Parts: sequence; structure tokens; C-alpha cells
Amino acid sequence: MTLLFDAQLLRLTLIVMVPFLIAALGELLTERAGVLNVAIEGIMVVGAVTGFLVTFSTHRYGWGLLAAMGAGAAIAAVLAYFCVTLRASQLTVGLGLFVFCVGLGSLLYRIVIGVRLMAPQIRTLPPLPLPGLSSLPGVGPILFTQNALVYLAFIIAMAVSVFVFRTSWGLRLRAVGENPRAADVLGIGVFASRYVFTILGGALIGLAGGYLPLGITGTYSDGMVGGRGWIALMLVIFGRWTPSLVLLGALLFAYIEALQFKVALVAKAVPPQFLLMLPYVFAILVLIKVYQGAAAPEAIMRPYDREERA
Amino acid sequence: MTETQAPSAVLPLPHRPRRLPWERAGIYMLGVVVALAIAGIAITLVGGDVRSAYATVLRVSLGSVVGVGQTLNKMTPLLLATLAVVLSFSGGYFNIGVDGQIYLGAIFATGSAFALGALGLPRVVLIPAVLLAGIAGGALYAFIPAVLRAVFAVNEIFVTVMLNFVALFLTEYLATGPWNDPLAGEAITRPIPAAATLPMLIPRAGTHAGILIALGAVVVVAWLLARTVLGYQIRAVGDNPRAARIGGVPITVVTLVALTASGALAGLAGAVEVSGFHYRLILGLTPGYGIMAILIAVLARQHPVGAAVAAFFFAVLLVGSDSLQRSVGLPASAVFVFQAVIVLTVLLAEALRKR
Amino acid sequence: MIPIVSMRGIVKRFGDVVALDGVDLALQRGEIHALLGENGAGKTTLMNVLSGLYRADAGTIAVEGEPVEVRAPRDALRRGIGMVHQHFELVAQFTALENVILGREGAVWLRRSRARAAVQQLAAQYGITLDLDARVRTLSVGVQQKVEILKALYRGVRVLILDEPTTMLTPQEVDALFSTVSWFTSQGLTVVFITHKIREAMRISSRITVMRRGRVVTTCSRAAVTEQELVQLMIGEMSPAVPARDGRLRGDQPVLVIRDLVVTDDRGSRAVSGCSFEVFPGEIVGLAGVAGNGQKELGEALIGVRAASAGAIVLDGGDVGRTPVRGRLARGLAVIPEDRLREGILPGMSLAETLVLGPHHFMFRRGRYDARRAEAAGREAIARFQIVAPDARVPSAHLSGGNIQKALAARAFLLSSVAGSKLLLAMHPTRGLDVRATEFLHGRLRDFVRAGGAVLLISEDLDELMTLSDRLLVLYRGTAAATFERAEFDPYRIGAAMTGVGAAGSASR
Repeated sequence: MTLLFDAQLLRLTLIVMVPFLIAALGELLTERAGVLNVAIEGIMVVGAVTGFLVTFSTHRYGWGLLAAMGAGAAIAAVLAYFCVTLRASQLTVGLGLFVFCVGLGSLLYRIVIGVRLMAPQIRTLPPLPLPGLSSLPGVGPILFTQNALVYLAFIIAMAVSVFVFRTSWGLRLRAVGENPRAADVLGIGVFASRYVFTILGGALIGLAGGYLPLGITGTYSDGMVGGRGWIALMLVIFGRWTPSLVLLGALLFAYIEALQFKVALVAKAVPPQFLLMLPYVFAILVLIKVYQGAAAPEAIMRPYDREERA
Repeated sequence: MTETQAPSAVLPLPHRPRRLPWERAGIYMLGVVVALAIAGIAITLVGGDVRSAYATVLRVSLGSVVGVGQTLNKMTPLLLATLAVVLSFSGGYFNIGVDGQIYLGAIFATGSAFALGALGLPRVVLIPAVLLAGIAGGALYAFIPAVLRAVFAVNEIFVTVMLNFVALFLTEYLATGPWNDPLAGEAITRPIPAAATLPMLIPRAGTHAGILIALGAVVVVAWLLARTVLGYQIRAVGDNPRAARIGGVPITVVTLVALTASGALAGLAGAVEVSGFHYRLILGLTPGYGIMAILIAVLARQHPVGAAVAAFFFAVLLVGSDSLQRSVGLPASAVFVFQAVIVLTVLLAEALRKR
Repeated sequence: MIPIVSMRGIVKRFGDVVALDGVDLALQRGEIHALLGENGAGKTTLMNVLSGLYRADAGTIAVEGEPVEVRAPRDALRRGIGMVHQHFELVAQFTALENVILGREGAVWLRRSRARAAVQQLAAQYGITLDLDARVRTLSVGVQQKVEILKALYRGVRVLILDEPTTMLTPQEVDALFSTVSWFTSQGLTVVFITHKIREAMRISSRITVMRRGRVVTTCSRAAVTEQELVQLMIGEMSPAVPARDGRLRGDQPVLVIRDLVVTDDRGSRAVSGCSFEVFPGEIVGLAGVAGNGQKELGEALIGVRAASAGAIVLDGGDVGRTPVRGRLARGLAVIPEDRLREGILPGMSLAETLVLGPHHFMFRRGRYDARRAEAAGREAIARFQIVAPDARVPSAHLSGGNIQKALAARAFLLSSVAGSKLLLAMHPTRGLDVRATEFLHGRLRDFVRAGGAVLLISEDLDELMTLSDRLLVLYRGTAAATFERAEFDPYRIGAAMTGVGAAGSASR
């Protein structure tokens, strides 16, 4: 049992939770507005590569993360143009953009870095101990000696939750995702909301991608996103489009991922590939439960056309 | 909940086989031009010469018998993967796991080639057996999302994506572990017996007979969708599952059949790659054929014959970008950018024309 | 006196269809103005233009003599014009209060208690009572309508447009609505009342505008016209009288027996609870009830797309409770589904392919789909049911709502010809059809019964049910609460049964 709950494991859990949580929150905002962003995995790839490249060239984490957000927002804007203005199929366009982003990731890396023997590296985000709190026994090292993005992820989760459920803008956002015509009739800008939240969501997804090289690996490699975007997409359903439940799901998947590192160190007889499969197999098992009684925003994937005759 | 997704909103393109009107050719050309322009920018940025790069692409893919032969070799798995996507899309199922099913088909094919090859079976028995094993592998693997969808209403997109990763690690395990070729020093298995390999169609160009299998599959899928009640029911479910259900279409059966058959086609692609091209199981057997197949299926509007044409064109791009990788050092997955740009441009042009 | 609203020369086209062809309309302050016409006359389209949902292709709108441009619903609302649509524009997952304040919450932070007080005061002023904290999806249609009206009042509208507000209400609810609306005018409101029912227009309005085929035929004060004149103005000719009823055709052995049926809805609560009735060959049985009393679930259980949790469904002598849909079609069930777009057509496939969905089990041999045979059936349906379509290969989604409805009826009859159907379950079969098409379809249903078939008719339109049925069952809270034989039909007694006020009819058999 000590193996399953030691401080190092729990600390690692929070570190690897960040991309799941932030990406899922971005997707949550997008879907609440009635747009399904299935390019999420690809946007994370582009976020990862821009985050890495900009940090690598400027030696500033802040610029790297901003660039990742900008790239994510830009791609989400393309998605919004296709799906909101042109009313194209959200799945088709999303998958197309996903493929585009996957290719773009390695292309950008190649253009900027070129071919090198040694993969260039950056230092990962340093821990930022919170004064006072970090010296608390037990929880101090786990909760309060983390990098800045871990704290930020929790703050974003709280902000999204308050926004969606406690503000009038959140009420309008939910109305747009549930019944755009009802919202439109009341003078709420359906198109504007969908653009704003798709782009904002894309920025968060890009940030989640940018965190991967900055917060976890220190390098960029093709395939490093490794399905985290897809899992984040799933977490939104798992979390019933509610930030607090999404946080719970992100913690769960982060724990599995962290555990897999841990077990690899202990159980050397098990081929590593089987451990690597673990999060994905776990995801499938969770999916079976996730789909029982999940009710998505009703207008999700449905383009809005004011003059459509019912 | 999955049933409430109106698949017609998912697929903007009619399933009904239709002749492609000439005006569409212009839209496709536009997509190609935009993609070429972007490719040109990319080539320039990595320090290559655009004109000579394009010349190289044309020469290696279409400019010689060997080039065409290689293009046909690439087209084979692409086309089979596309047919897998076409079949599942027609039923409204998003099989994003074609790559994983290709791996499982390749694993089954390799395993059966090892096991049956050891018995010394003749080629006429061994080749069909290996191909059937691949079909079974892909079908079984697709059966997982099929059952989850049919019984638990779990969205197949997630399941198939997750299974892609599982298949990748399984392949890596086999290729580096039990079946590893100790002489190779990388993630590839021992070669399969010669008796399990597909014959050459154009020996001079190195083109194997897989292309015939793929073209045969085009006919079968086209016939299935257009001329059988099963195909009609698959399309009906894809267009409006609730209406189909009220029309007495057995949704569960259709789900199982469409997704499993889709996996079978993908598995066949994996088997053909092993038996016709690589002669072994390798990590990286599919560079994302399943993902490209989604793009091709969208371009071809889920029409099997259109899929063949588009698959050929994508194969040219694939062979061409392979050569660009060698000559100017573009990364292999850069081809995704060009392919996606074509599809997005076409979608854009179509949507704008409709307005 | 300057009219509060005046519309001039309004033109609206949908593709090639001219929906409004130069319409003029003036509304006076404090009047109840009925907008009367058949389905498809352009009443709703005209009001959608006024309320900003549609943009007119030509024409001008003036509010209190001042020309205004109404580009979106918010422009109309700003000018004090609000509309309650026939299909309510409510967010089903929200509470009544959230729906009312949506878009006018007053502050960035949601302050529900303060908003509740304001809305309650408003409701009291206009004589509306309802539970503001109930989720809208749990409310009955009548209460949802109150939410819609309250929404408009909360926005301070001076012109309230009601689109066919009585269609889904019981006679008692209609009475309540009318007295509320009359009260509104005393508070200075102008009300536009869209309807196709002459009697209602005569009862409630002060002036009446009659529309036909996208044009205004006339505007007159109520006192100046008779019902007969309005009929003529609306239809352009006298409508043929309802054909006399045939004598009793009823057979002895029931074709459908529903016994103690229990069905749960999507949320797991009992929608049908212990419902029993029988349908005999040669009769049309109407199923009346306020929407949400189990009609939908009963229909779905009968079709076989929703499992019954208890009870029996006996079709033509055989228990089909566990039979899949196809087996029930083979046993003699034919269906005109409830929701033509979501449950009816194959939008991306051809009209022919939509038409054979269901019949295909019986039309094609050995698993071979014969496209030519399907298209021939399509052509025949186009001719017989006067479906407006270039050919049977047109994508189904290209058809208009009324033509889709005709196609679905044609499909039920195609199925009955290839599978020998004995029972036709017709769910809202004439929704969206014009008078002529409705009468045509009613004729087909009567033919079907005359030939020995049986029809179970589910409809929200009490007029239709009373015109067509030999026997009427009232579904209330999932049980057959009352039965009325044709001789006993009386809208008020039926309405009372629909709202659960006493068992007004004879005891159910």
C-alpha cells in the first residue's frame, strides 16, 4: 500500500494531471457552446511544439506558454470558421485538422531545429514552493511544492466552474449549447459565443500541449502527446461537462499514468510495453461506465442556422 | 447517447453512389494547388529547392515503371484502409482505429505464417491462410468497439483510438521480444517463410499482387453497399439510426457487422503488407494509413470507386514525400499536412459554394 | 391613430418558394389581432420577419410610425416586439426562472433570489401562476407556454405574438389562456394571435387578418364577418363537407390487445402505467391526451423500439412483447412515425430509399437490394400522394415538411401492400399538411379501415381526433382514463378527462 500512495507518486500525479485537466477544461468550454473539437489531440501537438520551440529560443517559459496558447487559439479559430460560419461537419473538419496538426508539429520542429544528433533540451518548469504551505508536514511537498502550472490548472478549473454555473455569461453559454435558437431569440449572440469559446478552449488546449515539453519531458518528440488529447475529450464526458468532475477524472488518469512509471521501476520482469498499455486499457474500461446516462449539451455538433425551417 | 448524433450532420456527403460531376474536378484541383503551394513553402523553409523537389517527386512516383510500381504498392494498404473507413462511415460509425486493426492483422498474419510455415504447407494453401488470419485479426480487434457500441452504447471513436495505442505497444513487444530478429537490431521480427509471401505482379517494379486484392475489395464493398439489403440497411443506419430502427433494421446486428467487416478490411491490409511488402512484422508498418484513409474517404464521399482514385493520388503523395524525406529532409509525417490541406480546401470550397 | 406596428410590402423567399408576396399589416395599440389562414399561408413566416428571426427580402417595418430595421430578434425585442413560437424556444435543462431571465440577468453574477422576486411580481401583475424553480423539461405544455409568455413580458414587450397557442392545450387550458390574454390588453399590450381555427379567431380577437398563399386576403373587424365568410376567404372555396360515416364495420376479434402495459420513459419514471385497451378491425381508435401523458412511450412500445417493463402487447392474436420491430411489421403493424425528421426520413438518401425503409424486408428476395424496384415504388408514391418532387432519386432532405409527411404516409401504405398490414399506428399523421392534403390522408385512413384494417391514431389535435375516430381513448398519466364512443364526443368532457377532472366518459372496456 505504501507503494500506491507514497509522496513521490502523488506529487508526480499532480504534475502529469495538468495537461489532462487544462485540455479537458478547454474542451468543456467549447462543447458547452455546442461545438465538438475533435482536433484536440492535434492542437495539443501544435501546442507542444510551439511551446517547446519558443521556450527553447527565448529561454522564457512565459513566451513559450503564450505561443502555445496562441497556436491553439489559431487552429480553433479555423475550426470555428468551418463549423460555425460554414456549418461544415464538426467531426469531418475536426479530424482533418487533427491530421493537419500532427503533420504540422513535426514539420515545424524540423524547420526550426533541423536534423541533430542530440535532441535539444530545455529545463523543465522549476518547483515553486508556496511560502508557509510547502513546509506543512505530509501535504506540503505533494501539494505546495509544485510548478506554477499545477497551481494554475487548479485555478483555471475553479474559474471555469464559477464562470459556467455562477455568472450570467455562463448561463448564456449553456443556453447556446443547449438550445441556440432559444438563446438567439433572446438576443444572445450564438455565433459570437461559439467563436469566443471555441477559440478560448483552443487556447487552453494549446496551453495543455505546451506544458508537456515544458513541465514534463524537457524535449519535443513526435507522438509525445500520446493520446492525452483523446483522453481529455473523454474526460469531458466522464465529468458530465462539469469542471469539478472533470478534475476528478483528470486526477484518476494522472494517477494511473504516474503509477505506470512507478511500477516500471519495481516490476522489472513485466515487459514495459504492457505497462505502457495500461492507461489506454484503463480508459476503455472507464468508457463503459462513462456512457451510462451521459447527456451532452443538446445542440452539440449541430450547426446553427437562424433561417432553418423546423 | 450515441444514437442521438445525427450522422447526416456528421457526414455532409451523400452515401448514394453518384457520378462525380466535372465541376467537382475544379475543386479537387484547387485543393491540390493549395497543398502544393504549402509544400513548396515547407520545402523552401527546410532549405530545399522547390522545382527540383517537385521534379523528383514526379519522377519517383509516376515517371518510371519502378516509380508506378512503388506507388501501386503504397496504394494497396491505403485503398484497403480507405474501404474499411468507407464501410464504417456508411453505417455512421467512426472507426478511427484502422491503424490498430492493421497492426493486429499484421500480427495474426505473421504469427500464422510462422506457425503454418513450419508445417511446410504449399504456397497455394499458405498465402490464403495468412491473408485469412490477417482478416480475422483485424475483425476480432474491431469486434471490441463493435460490441461496446452495440451493447453499452460506448462511442467507438474513443475505443478505437485507445486500441490503436494498445496495438502499437503489442507490436513493439512482439517485434522487440518473442519474435525479434536478433540480427536486425531494431523493432522488427524474423522474416516469414518465402512460401507465405505474395507473388509479384510486376517483378521489374517490385509490385506485388496485393493491388489486385485491393481492387477486388473495391468491387466487393461497392456491391455490398449498393446491391444488397445488408448494405442498404448499413447506409440507412448511417443516415438516420432512429428511422432505421423504426423501419425494423436490426441495429445491433448492423453495428456488429459494419464495424467488424471494417476491421476485417483493415486486417487484410496488414496481412498484405506483411505478406507482400515487408515479409515480416515491423514497428511502423503503418505510417498512419488509417488516418489518411479518413481523409481519402471524405474526399471520395464514401464512394468505393472514388476511393480507389483518391487512394492512388494519396499514394503518389506518399511516395513523393518519402523521396522528399531523403532528398531535402522533410519529416515523414509532413505528408499529413499536405493531405489534410487538400481535404480542408475541398471542404472549404464546397461549403463556400453552397452558401 | 398611428398603428403601433405597420408592415408594408413584405417579401420573403426560401429558395424558389415565395413564402410572403408583398404583405401589408397594421396593428393597433391594445387590440387582439388574429392572423388567420391555412398551414403554409405565411402567417408564421410574416411574424418571424417581424420578430427578427427571418430577414425579409423586401418591404419595410415601422414601429409607432418610425421606420425600423429588424435584423435579429434582439432588434425586435428592443422595439418591444416579442413572439411565443409554436414550438417553444425554451432551454429544457434550465429552470423556469433561468429561462425567463436568460439574456437579461441584470448583473454579471447570477443572483437568483433577487431575480425570482422580480419575476414573481411580474407574474402576479399579469395573473400568471407557476413554479419558477421547476426544470422546464418536467413542465406540461400549458405551463411551458406560461414561461414563454412571462419571458416576453419580462422583456417589456408591448406587442406579444402568439403562434398557434392553443394547438396542444385542453379546452380548459384554452379558456384560461383566453382570459389571460384579454387581461393583457387591459394592461396596454397588443396581442397578435396566429391561428388556423376560425372559431378561435372569432372568439378572442378584435380584428382579423386573413392570409392565403403568402398574401393578405383581407383585414376586417370581427363584428363585420361571419364564420362562413372567413372559411371562404381562407380556403378560397367552400371546403367539402366531412364525408358521412359508414356503418359499423367493426370485426369481432381484436387486432391489437394492450393489457396492463407498463413503460418507463428515458429518465426511468413510469410513462405508461397499467394501460389496457383493444383495437378491432374496421375501426379508427383515437388516442387523445395532453402531450407527455404517455402517448409517445406507448407508441414506441407498440413499435418495439422501447421495452415494456410489464404487461402484454398482443398483435393479431400473437404476443409480440419481445418481438423485434421487424417481426411486428411481419405480423401486420404499419407505422407513421411521430417525428418526421428525426424518426422518419433518411435525409441523405433518396426519396425511394426512404420509401422502402420497412417495406424493404418484404420487397426484396434473397438479400438483393433492387434499386429499380425501389424507384418504381417511389414514382408510384409521388403520383398517388401528390408528393412534390422531381423524381424518386431526389435526396429526401430536399423535400418540404409537408411532402415528407406525405412520403411517410405513402410508406405505411406501401408496407401494408407488401406485408399485408392489419394495424396502422398513425402518430400525428397530418402535422404540417395543408387542408387538402389532410383530407386526402384522412380519406386514405378511412379506406384502410373500410378494407378491414384498423387504425390507432395518436394526435394532439382534438378536432382531428373527433373528425376521424370511431372511438376515442383518453390517456391520462399513462392509463386509458376514459373511453368515448363517437356518439358521445364532446370536447369539454373529453378535455376534462384529459386533465384528469373526473372520469367523464364511460368506463374503459
